[in-house]
Amino acid sequence: MSGEEEENAAELKIGDEFLKAKCLMNCEVALILEHKYEQLQHTSEDPMNQVSQVFEKSLQYVKRFSRYKNPDAVRQVREILSRYQLAEFELCVLGNLCPETVEEAIAMVPSIKTRGRSHDDDAIEKMLNDLSLIKKFE
Amino acid sequence: MFLKVQLPWNVILAPESLEAEGLMLQRSIIIRLLDDFAVKKATKDLGYYLAVTTLERIGEGKVRQHTGDVLFPVVFSALTFKIYRGEVLEGVVHKVLKHGVFLRCGPLESLYLSNLKMPDYHYVPGENPYFMNDKNSKIGKDVVVRFVVIGTKWLEADREFQALVSLEGDYLGPVSSPEI
Repeated sequence: MSGEEEENAAELKIGDEFLKAKCLMNCEVALILEHKYEQLQHTSEDPMNQVSQVFEKSLQYVKRFSRYKNPDAVRQVREILSRYQLAEFELCVLGNLCPETVEEAIAMVPSIKTRGRSHDDDAIEKMLNDLSLIKKFE
Repeated sequence: MFLKVQLPWNVILAPESLEAEGLMLQRSIIIRLLDDFAVKKATKDLGYYLAVTTLERIGEGKVRQHTGDVLFPVVFSALTFKIYRGEVLEGVVHKVLKHGVFLRCGPLESLYLSNLKMPDYHYVPGENPYFMNDKNSKIGKDVVVRFVVIGTKWLEADREFQALVSLEGDYLGPVSSPEI
């Protein structure tokens, strides 16, 4: 299907646009889009009519698929994951899917285990524990 | 994956919208930018255009010959959504067919999961058809499924992406939602 046979997120081959772009987790996007939507509610009587379909569908999606709702928790998730030398893309996949075991985390983001990376199972385990703690205290 | 990107853009204003000075001019530029942005919908490189987050700068306007329109080069930050081959995502089933299901994920509505890519599931016909495996796990309308993207396609004419997805892999399949 795709002309770019090279692309493979599982090996972190995801193209040049990532050099300029930053990835965001669903929960971060939810905060931004909800804030935008609230602003529109103040200035317009029918805010849903003011936004594009892409905006509307994305807002519905991130509301449903955000693991963390509280803005402080969202900030903490990024802060904690940032300590583990992850690529932006890896960080966001982990924050979105919240794997419960080391095995699951590697299945979701195979690139964290590729050669030359420093993630051993203990480090991944600690990272997942930190994440589940945020969820618990949210 | 949701992306935060910085984009250069040319905003073109007709002479009649230039009468006011200062803040009014800036307002016209922003309104025009937001309109153009929403119309653009998506590009092959950056995916779907969700929202403008910040306007970084507005350059000096240049008058175009013949029309008298003024072109302002602007730079802004925006949110986009693009799917990648090999990426693991969650989506919601919205259509069940005999040979597979269609899922929705972010702004995308055409993610196809073929029966060939969920080999342990079989089709169960009926008024509300679904797919089921021998562990009684069901994939029907409104079910959340975790899948891996195996191919993407950009349709230039419709400015849409389509994707093929698969359940072949560990920890993929319907997600048990705690609400049920």
